[in-house]
Amino acid sequence: MTSRTVDKPTNAAAPGWGTAGPPPPFQPPTKHRVPPLTPRRFAALMAGKAAAVASRVSGRGGGTSVPGMVARRVDPTILASLVADQHIPVIAITGSNGKTTTARFSAALLRAAGFPVSHNKAGSNLVQGVTSVAVGAADLRGRTPPRVMVMEIDEGALPLVAAELRPSALLVTDLFRDQLDRYGEIYAVADTFEAVARELAPDSALCLNADDPIVAGLAPTRSGRRVMFGLELDHDTDRITRAADTIRCPRCRANLVYDHVYLSHMGAWHCPACGLERPPLDVAVTELEVRGLDETRFHLRTPAGELDLVVPQSGVHIAYDAAAAVAISLGLGVPLDHAAEALATVRPAFGRLERIAAGRHSIVLGFAKNPTSFNTTLRALATEGLPRQLLVAASNTLVDGEDFAWLWDVDFESAAGGVERVTVSGLRADELANRLKYAGVDPAVMTIVEDRPAALDAALAGLEPGGTLTILAGYTPTIELREEMRRRGWVGPYWEV
Amino acid sequence: MAIELQMAPQGPVTEAPEGGWPTLRIAHLYPSLLNVAGDGGNLMALERRCAWRGIPTETVAIDAGDTADFSTFDIVLFHGGQDVEMEIVAADLGSKAPSLRAAADQGVVIFAVCAGLQLLGTRYSPSEGPPMEGAAILDLETRGGPQRFMQHAAVDITIDGQRGTIVGFENHSGQTVLGPGAQPFGTVIAGAGNNGTDGTEGAVRDHVYATYLHGPVLPKNPWLTDQLIRIALERRLGREIVLAPLDDSVEQRAHDVAYAKAVRNRGQRTALEPAHLVRGRSDEALG
Repeated sequence: MTSRTVDKPTNAAAPGWGTAGPPPPFQPPTKHRVPPLTPRRFAALMAGKAAAVASRVSGRGGGTSVPGMVARRVDPTILASLVADQHIPVIAITGSNGKTTTARFSAALLRAAGFPVSHNKAGSNLVQGVTSVAVGAADLRGRTPPRVMVMEIDEGALPLVAAELRPSALLVTDLFRDQLDRYGEIYAVADTFEAVARELAPDSALCLNADDPIVAGLAPTRSGRRVMFGLELDHDTDRITRAADTIRCPRCRANLVYDHVYLSHMGAWHCPACGLERPPLDVAVTELEVRGLDETRFHLRTPAGELDLVVPQSGVHIAYDAAAAVAISLGLGVPLDHAAEALATVRPAFGRLERIAAGRHSIVLGFAKNPTSFNTTLRALATEGLPRQLLVAASNTLVDGEDFAWLWDVDFESAAGGVERVTVSGLRADELANRLKYAGVDPAVMTIVEDRPAALDAALAGLEPGGTLTILAGYTPTIELREEMRRRGWVGPYWEV
Repeated sequence: MAIELQMAPQGPVTEAPEGGWPTLRIAHLYPSLLNVAGDGGNLMALERRCAWRGIPTETVAIDAGDTADFSTFDIVLFHGGQDVEMEIVAADLGSKAPSLRAAADQGVVIFAVCAGLQLLGTRYSPSEGPPMEGAAILDLETRGGPQRFMQHAAVDITIDGQRGTIVGFENHSGQTVLGPGAQPFGTVIAGAGNNGTDGTEGAVRDHVYATYLHGPVLPKNPWLTDQLIRIALERRLGREIVLAPLDDSVEQRAHDVAYAKAVRNRGQRTALEPAHLVRGRSDEALG
């Protein structure tokens, strides 16, 4: 995928900023404003920190979620007292896809600009995961160091923690259907975003993906700063598929027209009926080249100047995530002088097309959890040729959801032609195998091995020396398979990637 | 892909009629609007299972604004969707209803799921917003209810004297009550069915079959899929046929797992806690 914009604007479009204008230079707090330490808060901190130690020692999950759960049980106000009450600047990143990678990019940009960061980088993004980061950062007197907190936050958890965090910046990556049985319809999730965006403090920045029709229109009357990001390429990088969700006008419901489709329902859209159109971009990706599985090169136009970026991760979605992180920095007034060097060092989060050396073999681990993330991962994989040896896994747990109907919206057909052998695993291997059969994978080349470690053995056993196994797995099986690889010494723990 | 067709050991074996199988024409109603819960898998199941037997199919997408003569089709699919999309469909359906009704009267197979079921009825009154007129093909009426049924379900159905168990995933808050002109599609073994109280599931009239089961329902209930194909072909050819059996071990496994889940969950109202309780409480999630 290579692109050149034909008419590169000679003068960058006037930045949006809403009516608030560009922000003053970012100033993190230098002094503690610590609420008095109550016995209850002290007990909550002790309990949370002890739980973190216990969780690490037992090697079960690196303490990414239990400490917060324990601390909240002792003192439900612990998060507010450690964050909002102490005026700790928080960057809240939410949306359906791209939260983890955007948060990693954003943390890198802040660090490069000289601001220390706390970050839930292991992706534990529910209430207790967010609380765990705050408990981990604070000392036993309840003082939170004056760092910026970069927090990815689950769509469902966002309204529960927004008031306790009082974010300085809220970024919404996109909105796709994801776990209908957990979140309900996407319109309900959109309402959640809208409510939180409206409640943002007036001097906070609202950073939105302009290419996603519903996200672009969040909190339209809010008077605070608004930074819009998106792609501005002269060609399509995707087509509308059955996984696309928002293809109707959010205002009048007429079918949208896309000048270009960039990723699922994201693109340069407008409504032929009522005239609603994609808002002007403050941060625009104007050139894009995805190079195999390991690199994406792109050009960004920003109000603070032009950036040529090379990121060691693959895909159109990576350009979106990087543009999102840059939008956050702009919204906060964080300088971008070292942005290119910073982003060049951000490797994939665990399981995001992670390359793993597994003895004589190699593994590409691709985490995918909804039709769009599956399709994005399949498309990225296809840039190196269709995967031939596959392990595909899906499980129904509380976090993965119970309803796997969405597997039928994944474009497995695009990959079926390349499959030589596939091991199907996880608690819902049955549904997955049936889906693959109807996508055109011959059942004769399918083996169902529900148990994850056994599936890994079965899949690797069929590889020729030097061969590559491609793994596509939902959240829980990704964690399980990676944990098995850690036991075998092939990778470090997921919370340290 | 190569699937070996196993010939049935006894009984009449399907052979293509002279001149080959007719092309089975499938109408896919509102594919860009009613696409949210993987129900497109129903179309895949019909197309694939025909293809594996050498029966050609032709699928026509019919969206809002399109006009169609439904009597020229053999099978019509009418799937589920979210409330916003359902409103758009309801507004458009009035223009299609006469043709759809005529097709139903002529014995065209119509297979409807969830919103499709509701809009084949006389009226759907959501919890919020004005009521929507249905196509009045099935004698049933639906009201929005306070409880969302979200669970695996199993239903005992009988088609042309053959009895079978079908499985799927319910996700609806509408409560449907059948009138005297409609028969239930089946009897609830596990799950909520039409309304959570009377034990009925779905509705049937002539060859119009309507159910609340998503999942999608046809891929993991190959017996039901084949019944729809058989009925459609028999109507077209004007004689009885028996479809060549296929190796359904993968489908059967998916069916059996879903059945076990449905039965294990029997008596509870949702497979998961309602979303507002689950949010923020489960272990970890990431995006």
